[in-house]
Amino acid sequence: MKPIETRLARLARKGDQRAFAEIVDLYKDKLYHLAYRMMNNRQEAEDVVQETFLRVYKNLDRYDEEQKFSTWIYRIATNLCIDRLRKRRPIYSLDAESSDHEGLDGYAMMPSDDRTPESELILSETQRIIRDAIETLPAKYKSVMVLRYLQDMSLQEISDVLDMPVTTIKTRVHRGREFMRKKLENKV
Amino acid sequence: MNCKVAIAYMHDYLDHELPKENGAELQRHLHECPECQRRLESLEKTDALLRAVPAERAPNYMAYRVMKSLPKTRSPRTWATWVRRHPAMSAAAMFLVVMVSSFFAMWNQSGQLTVRGADLEHVVIEGNTVIVPAGQKVAGDLTIENGIAQVLGDVEGNLTIIDGNVTLASTAHIAGKVKTIDRAMDWAWYKVTSWFDTLAYGS
Repeated sequence: MKPIETRLARLARKGDQRAFAEIVDLYKDKLYHLAYRMMNNRQEAEDVVQETFLRVYKNLDRYDEEQKFSTWIYRIATNLCIDRLRKRRPIYSLDAESSDHEGLDGYAMMPSDDRTPESELILSETQRIIRDAIETLPAKYKSVMVLRYLQDMSLQEISDVLDMPVTTIKTRVHRGREFMRKKLENKV
Repeated sequence: MNCKVAIAYMHDYLDHELPKENGAELQRHLHECPECQRRLESLEKTDALLRAVPAERAPNYMAYRVMKSLPKTRSPRTWATWVRRHPAMSAAAMFLVVMVSSFFAMWNQSGQLTVRGADLEHVVIEGNTVIVPAGQKVAGDLTIENGIAQVLGDVEGNLTIIDGNVTLASTAHIAGKVKTIDRAMDWAWYKVTSWFDTLAYGS
């Protein structure tokens, strides 16, 4: 028996809107978590989630059932995030050059959020530091680390999602972890 | 074991990818290297902190927003899907449609006299009849549709008559072939071959 998502995808392909709504329910939080940590901006995270589902919907016919559905949907979402980060960079790179924030890429300088004061209170200092550290990761490490830790994927799964060799993923996880270690070492 | 290898092993260990025997090796190294011990602790802490990042939930309106953004119906896709799944059949069907429609388009034109050839100066047309007068020489091919050919002189190429007939006088001399085409199928076939000739020779 095929996994539930594959069966839902098959129903949705035949035009069953409720089946698609179930797919949305299954993945909306996971994708939002991924997109929010990648973009560090709620508005953009919502846009990425919406765009991901829209692309999935439009390309259901192309979904290859031999592949895991989660791999496919994560690939679409991750690529959308990476594209957006890439487009963001040139706008802020000038600011980044003039700033003395070492290791900060231009896109890290995005006015990051529209968090309400209330939710700011819940956020502990530790969580804020970790969040900022993730935000300063260069994009190619960021996507790997977010998939590894926030989505709890194995190296093999990440390699499937990003369509890169496992050895590359492994190197990036190691470097990303060292980067995070240095950022967090004396603060947390 | 040097510290560089030890650090690589630590990462493998955190990725649950360190083989047992290497684990034992790492352990021995850690016993004699306090610096690597600290490094492992620091990495483990980083690992644990990252794992503990609380999951963000999408806002309540997310599902509604997504469903509302979808195009109303997927049905127009089914046609496109069929095309994608049967490319050869689609190409064949397309070809058939084009051929049949152009066939009928051309068929409808017929009924009126058409004369084609490289050298029409020496040809005389009288009503429905195309005459190559005696002593005259037509260079190249001559094609006549819906008409009667009356050849008294010379034709240096092929003579083709479609839906018509030909009268050759004793003085007539035709260097190429004389072809009379009457039926629609033959005519269609002639159209197809002449189309390919056009493709091949560009004339």
